[in-house]
Formats: sequence, structure tokens, C-alpha cells
Amino acid sequence: MEVSVHNLTKVFGTLRANDGVSLRFAEGQIHGVLGENGAGKSTLMKLLSGFLRPDGGEVLLEGKPVALGDPGAALRAGVGMVHQEPLDVPGFSALENLLCAAPRWALPSRTEARNTLTVLAGRLGFSVAPDDPISALTVGQRQQLEIIRLLACGARALILDEPTTGITAAQARSLFVALRRLAAEGNTVLFVSHKLDEVADLCDTVSVLRAGRVVGEGQMAMPQPQERLLRMMFGGGGHSSPQVETPRRGVSTAPPAWQLNRVAARDGNMALTDLNLAIPAGAVVGLAGLEGSGQQILLRLLCGQFRPSAGRISLAGADLTGAGAAAFRRGGVEYLPADRLVEGVVGPLTLAEHFALLQPEGAIIDRRAAEGAARQAITDYSIKAMPASPIMALSGGNQQRAMLAMIPDNTRALVCEQPTRGLDVASARAIWGRLLARRDAGCAVVFATADLDEILEYSDYVLVFFAGQISRLLPRAELSAPRLAELIGGVDFATVAGSRGATAT
Amino acid sequence: MTTSNQAAPAQKPPKAAIRSPLLFGALALVGALIFTSIVLLSSGVPPLEAYRLIFLGAFSTPVRISDMIMLAAPLMLCSAGLTLTFAAGLYNLGVEGQMILGAVAAMIPLRLFPDLPPPLLWALAFACGAAGGAAWATLAAWLRVGLRVNEIFAGLGLNFLASGIALYLVLGPWRRVGQASSSGTEPLPNALWLPTLDKLRLAPIAPIVALIALAIIWAAVTRTRWGLELRAVGLNPQAAGRMGVPAARRLAESLAACGALAGLAGAIQIIGVFHQLIPSISSGIGLLALLVVLLVRANPAWVLPVAAAFAVFTVGSVQLPLALGTDSSIAGVLQGALVLFALLARGLSARK
Amino acid sequence: MKRALTRWPALLILVLGAILSACGGAPASTPTESPATEATESAEAPAATEAPAAATEAPATEATEAPVAATEAPATEAEPYIFGMVLVGPINDGGWNQAQYEGMKYVEERIPGSKFIYIDKVNPADRPNVKVEQVIDELIAQGATFVVTNSAEFGDGTNIAAEANPDVTFIHASGDSVLAGKAPANVGNIMGKMIYGKMMAGCAAALQSETGKISYLGPLIDPETRRLVNSAYLGAKYCWTDVLGKPADQLSFKVTWIGFWFNIPGVTLDPTQVANDFINGGSDVILSGIDTTEAIVEANKATQAGKKVYAIPYDYKAACEQAPDVCLGVPYFNWGPTYLKAISDAKAGTFQQSFDWIAPDWTNINNPDTSIVGFENGAALSADNATKLDAFIAQLADGSLNLYTGPLNYQDGTPFVADGTTADDKTIWYSEQLLEGVDGQSAP
Repeated sequence: MEVSVHNLTKVFGTLRANDGVSLRFAEGQIHGVLGENGAGKSTLMKLLSGFLRPDGGEVLLEGKPVALGDPGAALRAGVGMVHQEPLDVPGFSALENLLCAAPRWALPSRTEARNTLTVLAGRLGFSVAPDDPISALTVGQRQQLEIIRLLACGARALILDEPTTGITAAQARSLFVALRRLAAEGNTVLFVSHKLDEVADLCDTVSVLRAGRVVGEGQMAMPQPQERLLRMMFGGGGHSSPQVETPRRGVSTAPPAWQLNRVAARDGNMALTDLNLAIPAGAVVGLAGLEGSGQQILLRLLCGQFRPSAGRISLAGADLTGAGAAAFRRGGVEYLPADRLVEGVVGPLTLAEHFALLQPEGAIIDRRAAEGAARQAITDYSIKAMPASPIMALSGGNQQRAMLAMIPDNTRALVCEQPTRGLDVASARAIWGRLLARRDAGCAVVFATADLDEILEYSDYVLVFFAGQISRLLPRAELSAPRLAELIGGVDFATVAGSRGATAT
Repeated sequence: MTTSNQAAPAQKPPKAAIRSPLLFGALALVGALIFTSIVLLSSGVPPLEAYRLIFLGAFSTPVRISDMIMLAAPLMLCSAGLTLTFAAGLYNLGVEGQMILGAVAAMIPLRLFPDLPPPLLWALAFACGAAGGAAWATLAAWLRVGLRVNEIFAGLGLNFLASGIALYLVLGPWRRVGQASSSGTEPLPNALWLPTLDKLRLAPIAPIVALIALAIIWAAVTRTRWGLELRAVGLNPQAAGRMGVPAARRLAESLAACGALAGLAGAIQIIGVFHQLIPSISSGIGLLALLVVLLVRANPAWVLPVAAAFAVFTVGSVQLPLALGTDSSIAGVLQGALVLFALLARGLSARK
Repeated sequence: MKRALTRWPALLILVLGAILSACGGAPASTPTESPATEATESAEAPAATEAPAAATEAPATEATEAPVAATEAPATEAEPYIFGMVLVGPINDGGWNQAQYEGMKYVEERIPGSKFIYIDKVNPADRPNVKVEQVIDELIAQGATFVVTNSAEFGDGTNIAAEANPDVTFIHASGDSVLAGKAPANVGNIMGKMIYGKMMAGCAAALQSETGKISYLGPLIDPETRRLVNSAYLGAKYCWTDVLGKPADQLSFKVTWIGFWFNIPGVTLDPTQVANDFINGGSDVILSGIDTTEAIVEANKATQAGKKVYAIPYDYKAACEQAPDVCLGVPYFNWGPTYLKAISDAKAGTFQQSFDWIAPDWTNINNPDTSIVGFENGAALSADNATKLDAFIAQLADGSLNLYTGPLNYQDGTPFVADGTTADDKTIWYSEQLLEGVDGQSAP
């Protein structure tokens, strides 16, 4: 079944998650959809599978416009989506899940369901038996079950969202075999991923999304050069990136802000081991890499939210190994989370109340002082708000400015996660102005972002993360945009890997 | 919240804030009245007459007014305490048990030193009541903060345990001489009862204690740094922690403070109302206070009117069985419906 | 926000629970009702609200007195004499409260132009935070000038209300504050000498029991309940040894106290459970001492399941109708005549404070117009045993048998009644312990 979208647009608040996307996915092929975190892949897939409704444009199946009001309607129309984390009932058996998740018309009886399951599993080489309890299945097997369910319900176009996350290599291989077979039988397969090698391995065509738009000429036939795809994904095309204007400092001679010695830490599947790193004061360090390559772990280690399982961390010479976030904060580390309203600020409280919270000791709130501080911040940081505005009523840029304004002057080090996420260009520039001013005052700034332009524009040093390995501290001056894109994609990564530096499993 | 309007012109407030909470309050009231009227009509009771008794009955005689005040006092104490836990984002269902333990603890000095001067004993009873309630709440806080047991379940479990303790004491060590009845312990000597106004069951100390406590809580929530931190923790513990607020500690403190207030309410039940320990000494006042707090949320300023109104409904409805032949529990239906519709209205307003 | 959302279900459950518990009333204390008790209740319901209706209804039940009531009713209609009652349990409990309620209805039928009002279920489970003083105030606010409170724990509250309302006359049924000298002058105590009823119940149980294992479903422990258990035990022991001639050591008499007059879940033991424990422990007769009818209900269930278990309910004359096939009889209160006298006296202004512990009318203990305590034989009592029981009652009636004759010891061995003497009323009233031979807690 041919699936196409025309000028599809979806807006969340001020964010245009999909902005006039037009693509055509021909039947009998596997189509890759690439893009970094937040590029709009998931939104597009949810629009196709009925989980979201478009704000503009249309979805066409076999060339006819359709309105997919909900996932059930989409499935009846022949489009089914396999989620990253399969949606199933853990206490049930595979058969029971199939029965309860499929509409009555698809599987009228238990016997029929059992037959369907067995037949489809055999045909696709899946290893799911009807009576297996879900709790005993691996993520890969649950994915297989989900595919069987969608096929049993009549899906002729399958959407797989990051299907290889959390499954073994062997399972991924058998999944690919099955997907190729499904495509050969005339089905349409949409494969959403940010893993270039998988897309190269599996897909017939590829489309790249960035910031809600289709990049370049649209759908391209595979194979494509990896560097090209990377540049499309991350921008940083070299030509388009503005030349660096910010005054850049030479290699710092100041003592390191953070010193990590043989640190190991783990978060889920991802683990850092034997990490040796000295992050200089008075410099901006950008963390580059595909999402989920370990940047998160490092950020959280640096602000004390993760405790290392081995090794030592010291901050300006003071050993803080095993200390909590509060100790890091006392030591002068401030953390600016990406999800401002979730981790950064208390949405319903006003700006003035936030400053009251930051007042030094004193049992009774000094409202006048708090309002004064808020007003000062509003002036200094050009925040469009009143002291009595609840923070959640502010725009994203103003929230970010407010968060920066709340950072005490004596801060030694800043840890920023996507500091300009969701901000317009002017706001982003203003935020960076502030961050660079902090750097110039001697503060260490570490930030992670998916935007290579941002890395190249503002970093003094870059740390590249690839497949769980970390490069040594690379001076920005040594990096060109194409080179950085290659490193992120793993090309010649060994040449920059920390000597004993950072490795990861 | 803050009241300054003089800042530079900027941001319009978001739409939801424009809609008056009063409008939704009025809608909730109308909804609750309609619902209750349907219940009344379906049992053949004239709604207007029933409402007259429920709303005005408590004011018909000095005796009823005094009964209303004696119910409102512990209700206000519990509600004031619950605004603290509500501000901290906790649903302290354990308030009943905290009240029971407060009552039990208040009995201890009264039993041990009955010969001390009564004013001293009352002070001791209040102090022990507050300590007992706070201790019981600290147990819930420990379960919540230390062992990550949801405070709702911890509270319910501790309520059962508290009832068990009260029952054990009533039937066991503290039973009346020669008796073992769950109707209660030996009544306190008259000298130890809180002094009442002539011919009324109104002990003025009870509402005075309640009002003072309410004022303190109001000031704590709205004026102190501690109260602000509590609200920050309740609204967003992660962000509050990022800004240096010891979140877990504030959670525990709010629970303990709520327990202390519930314990004071328990002490009032002992020395001002029942004058003995009975197994159901809390009389569901803690649960009623939960309903009050679902209406007023973390805003102590509204506790006084809402708790008073609930006390009015409850006392006014005592005469329903006699006057209209219907059950007095209709007041509970009205109270519950009010809260239900208020939650509905709030949910609707949040969806904008 | 997300946190708040996940808690919505919890909130809703909380609120719905509050509403439901408010609506719920008192399922706990309402026993399974036989059609008979339903019928009597529904027949009398209109009378509760309308005094004249009582007069029109009366001919059906009391042919002789009804015309008087009918003729006099219109004259006094304008200014009815209102008397009220505070009941601890529901008026249809098939036991103590129903008997009390019907006693008051008896009075209302016989005093022309009178009106009976009541508030029932005055206990902490059904009406939390409502005190008896408060309820009495409500009755007085409705015009009551005579108030009966019907449960032991109402004593203090009744006295407080009496002091505050010296113009109202009070009877605290089953209480003893007059005897103790603590009652204001406008309070009287009335109680029937149920000790005799319990002796008959004990005798009937011993006569019919095959295993000799008799159990007693006790309410709370106080002097009243102890003396009733002791009386039942004395009746059982006498009939087992002296009437049947069986050895005393083959009789076992066990009491389990639930903690209150009726089941309050979470507070008392569950009487249904206790009754089943009795049955599983081999008891074949259960005597009930509580207000409600779990004993006979459970005995009936066990019998239908193939066991042979009898029950002797308590308090209410029609209690056997719940399960006639397992009912050996019921010792019951007939409050009407006594209340009629007290209320008539109060109405006439001749009320005198007294402590009245009234014996049955021995000429006919089942005379509804004279005897405060009676014993109605049950269908399950064999004819032979009924004859023996009648002989036993006759001995009690003529005074030839006084079971409270020494030597009687308390459970701990201290003498209760010395050899050769008999206990006086006050000694029996204030029974401090269960008797030697009774298995159960005394709570001295």
C-alpha cells in the first residue's frame, strides 16, 4: 500500500514539530526516516498511525486522502505502528495479548487467533509461542508479537519506531529478515531510526528530517554517503554554518574545574568506564554525538545527580566522589536541565517567589527583596515578565533567561542540557551571550546539544561521543564541520579516542 | 500569591487564570445541590425543607450553635494541617490515625496525674496530643521518604493500626473498672473537662486553639520561606531540589506538622467533647477534613469558612431524621457531592 | 502535573468512598430481617409520624381500648403529649432495640393524643461524633417531655441532659445511676429481671443439648451482662444435673464477648464468626446475649448444612421467627406495660424517681399487658423438654427454687454467695465476676 503525506503540519504550542512535510512511501519497499532527537520523526509517524491529528496537510493511502482519527481507524485503513516499548499487558500470555488487543472482526475466536499467531510466526521466522507469558518474553519477542498483531489486523503498512533499541543484534538481524520478507510480499515498511548503519543495511529509500522539515531533495534512493546523511541530519554543512565570530580563548591554563579519574557509571544499557577527564575552567565544552551515546551520563555525573560506581570526581580540587547534587551545588555547580518545567523551575510559582526561594537564610520571606531581585533580573536579562508572573506563563526563551538569571554570581561551573532547545534564534543568541559572559568570568560551561552548528559556534572544546566511546578533549580550532560529522558517525573515531581516555561499553 | 502590579507592562496572564475560580465554585455548588436534590427527591423528602434544616438548622438554637463550633474546632485543626501536606503534594489519608494517636496521647497525662491543677493538665493534654499525632505522622513520613511507601497507603495502614491501639486500650488497660466495653474508657472526672459556657457544650478553649493554629498555619504557608519551600516541593520536587530545597525533609516536616494539628484535634475530642477515650474518637473528622482540603487545597485562608460550613451541614442535619424522617447522612452526600463537583469543575477549567 | 494526574483515581475513590459511607447507614447492625418483622415495621411506620393514625389503626390490634383512643384523639390532637426514645441500634434489629421500640409503640396506642418520636442507631459507628446529649436535645426540641434512653452507655449523657432539662422526665433503661445515687431527680431506671429469662434459656439449652457444650454469644462485659451469663449458667447447670441427672463435669458453658451490643466492623469481634467458632468447637446450643440475631442465623445455616445446632435468641418476642426450626425459645422483654405506667405517671405529674428492677408476672410470664420479662418456647424444643421447662418455670415462680443459693463462687474462687444463704438483688445486680464453672473472661 502506498502511503504518502502532503504538506503535513503539526504544531505544539510554538513548536512546529512537522512543518509542511511531503513524502511518498511506495509499496513493496523499506523506507528509512532519519533525524536527530526532536527532528519530528516521531510526530510524523504518530500522524500516520492516527495517534495524532494533523493541524494542516493530509495523509493519503493509495493516493486517496484519509482522516485517521485514532489508531483503530488507522489500523482499519491498513496502517499499524510498532512502538519502541511494545504496548502489551505483562500478566497475559502472548495469545491473550493478541486477543485483547485485536478487534473482534480480526480474530473471531481463540482457536483462530492461535492459528494466526502460529502461522505468522512461522512465516516470519519469529520465536513467539501462543502460551508464552509476556513477562517471560524479551523486548524483541514482544515486538514480534506486536508485528503479528498488526498483520493479523490487516496492516499493509508497518511503521517501526526505533525498533532496534533494546534488542540484541541477533534479534535485530531476524527482525530485518522479516521486514524484508514483508516488503517483498508487497507491504510498505517505514523504518524510523537515527542509526545510519541500520538504515544503510535495510532501507531502499531514505528521507531526512530536521527541525520538522524534510531536508534536501526529499526522498532519496539508497545507498547514500554516510557523511552526507550526517550533514543533513545535523546541519553543520560547513557552508551553511556562520563563521565563528565569538572571541575564542586559547587553551586555558586555569586549573581544571572538574577532574575525573577512572570514573565508571551506568544508566540502563549505557555505561561509561575508565573515564579520565579534566574539564577546564573558563571554557565552553560541547558534548557532541548521536542521542543516547553517553552524554547524559556525563552531564549528570558532573552535577552530582549520578554517583560514579568507580573512580573519583573532584571539583576545583575538592573530592566530591559519592556526594549528592546538593554538595555539588554548594561546590558551585549549577545544572540547567533541558526540560525546564519538569526539572528546572516550579511552574506555578511566580518569578518573585523563585527569587524568594533563592534568598539566603531567613525564616520570613523578604517579599520586597525578592521582588527587587526579580525586577533586576527582568531588566538585566530582558525577561518579558512581571515579578508576579507565574513562570509557566512565560515563553520558553524567557523561562531559560529566568533560569540563567537565578544562577548565583559565584557559580564555578554550569552544566547545561540543550540550553537553547525550543528557542527562536534571537533568544538562543541572547542565552549564549549570557553563557559566554559567564565563561569569560571564569566559569566552566559544559553543554550537550543535538545541533552541530551550536557545538561548532560556541564551544572552546568538543567531546565527541560515539557508540559508547568518548573522544579526548578536542580543541574547537582543530575541528571542521565535516570532520565533526564524520566523528559523530564513527569515521576514524580511533584517531581521537582518549589515549587511555574514555571508553565505554 | 504575590500582589505587586506595578511592574512593567508585559505578558498577559494565561487564559485559565482569567476564568474566575468563583465561577467554577458557583458551578460546583449548583451541581452539588442538583445532585443532592435528586437524592432527596428520590427518597421522597422535600429538598427545600431539607436544605433549610441543613443550612440554617445549626443556627436555630444556642445549643446547636455550640455543637457546631465544637465540631468545627477539630475539623479546622485537621484541615489546617492538611493544607500543609496538600501544599507539599501529599495526600495525608493518615490524618484519622494521627488524630486517634493524639487523643490516646492526650489521655496519658490525664490518667497519670489527675491531681495536677486542671489548667496545667489541659496544657499537658494538648502538648501530648500534638506530640502523639506528630509521632504517628512521622512514622508515615518515614515510610514515605525512607521506604518510598506511598503516603496514601501508609496512612491507611497506620489508621487501622491506630484504631487497633485505641480499641486495645479501651477494652484492655484503660477499661472501666469491672467492665470491658468498646463504648469507651471511664469518663474523666468533671474537673478535668474543658470548662464550658453555661448550659452549653461549648468549651471556648477549643475554637480558640483552632483559630490560633489556623492563623499560624496561614502565616507559615503564605509568609515564611518554609511555606514557600513546601509549596515548591509540592509543585515540583525535582526543580525545588535543584534550587537547593531539601525536598524529603520538607515532606516529612509537613506530615509531622499536620500530625501535630490532628493530635490537637484529638486532644479536644478527649477533654472537650467525649471526656473519655472511645474507639472512634476521631469520629470521621479527619476524613471530613480531607474533603474540606480537597475544596480549599493549599490555601489556609479558606479553611475557616469551608470547615465552618461543613460543620453547619453536619450539625444541621442531625435533626433530619426527626423533622423529615430522612437520614442525617444526607449532609455527607451534600459534602461529598460538593467536593466531587468542585474537582470536576477544576478538571474542566484545567482543560481550558 | 503528571503526579497530580496519577493521583486523580485515588482522589475520586476517596470522595466516592466518603459519599458512599455517608449513604451507607448501618448495614453492619441490620440483621437479616424476617418477613414478619418487616411487616410489623411497615404497618407501624405511618403511626410514627401521625398520632391520629395510631387511633385508626388501633381497632385491628386492641379491640377493647381502641374506641377510647379513637374518641379522645381529636380532643387532644392540638397539643399532643410527646415522648421520645434514644436507641443504640436500629429499631428493626430483631432484638433489644426492636423490643424497646415496640414497647413505646404500645404506649402510644394506649395514651390518647400522645406521640412517639425516636432517634435510633445512636452509636459511634452509625453516627460518629453525635453524643446522646445532643440527640436528647433534638428530641426535646421536637417537643418531647419524656425521654427513654435505652443503652447502658447512655447513663452519663442522660444524667447530663437531665440536669440541663429539669422539666423533662427521663428513664434510663438498664441503668443504675438511681441506685448509685448519681441521678438527678428527674431520672428513673427501669430494667426487667431478665435473670429469670436467662435461667429459663439456660435450662432449655441444657435440656436439649446432646453434647453438653453450651456457648453464649456475649456483648460487652459489664455487671449486667455478667449477671445474665451467670443466670443462664445457673439455669443450665440445674437442669443438666438436677432435672436430667447428668454429671456436672459433662456440661461446659463458654462465653465469648464481642465487645459491644452488636457488630461494629473493625471494632467488635464479628458475631457471625464467633457463632461459627462455637459451632466448629462442638457447641450444639448457642445462647445469644447481643442485640442482634447472628446466633440463630448461623445455627440455622449450620443445621441446613447437616449439623444439629440450636439457638436461643434474646430480647425480642418474635426473634424465633428468623429460624423456627432451630429455635429452642427466646427470653424477651415486654417493655410496654412498664413504660405505659411510667409515662402515664409523668404525664399526670406524679412521676417519682425510682430504681425499678421488675420481676416477671409469675402468674403468666407471657401476659403482654403485665409481664416485663417472658419466655416464648421455640418450635425446636421437644415436647418432653417443654414439659420439663414448664416445671422449672413453675418452681421459679412459686419461689421453691432460688438458683442464687450458696455456695456459689466467682471464677477466681472468691465466695459470691455463702453456703446456705441466698443473694439479694443488689448483690446479683452488681455481679463482679462470672461464676466458677463458666469458661470466659470476667473483666473484674
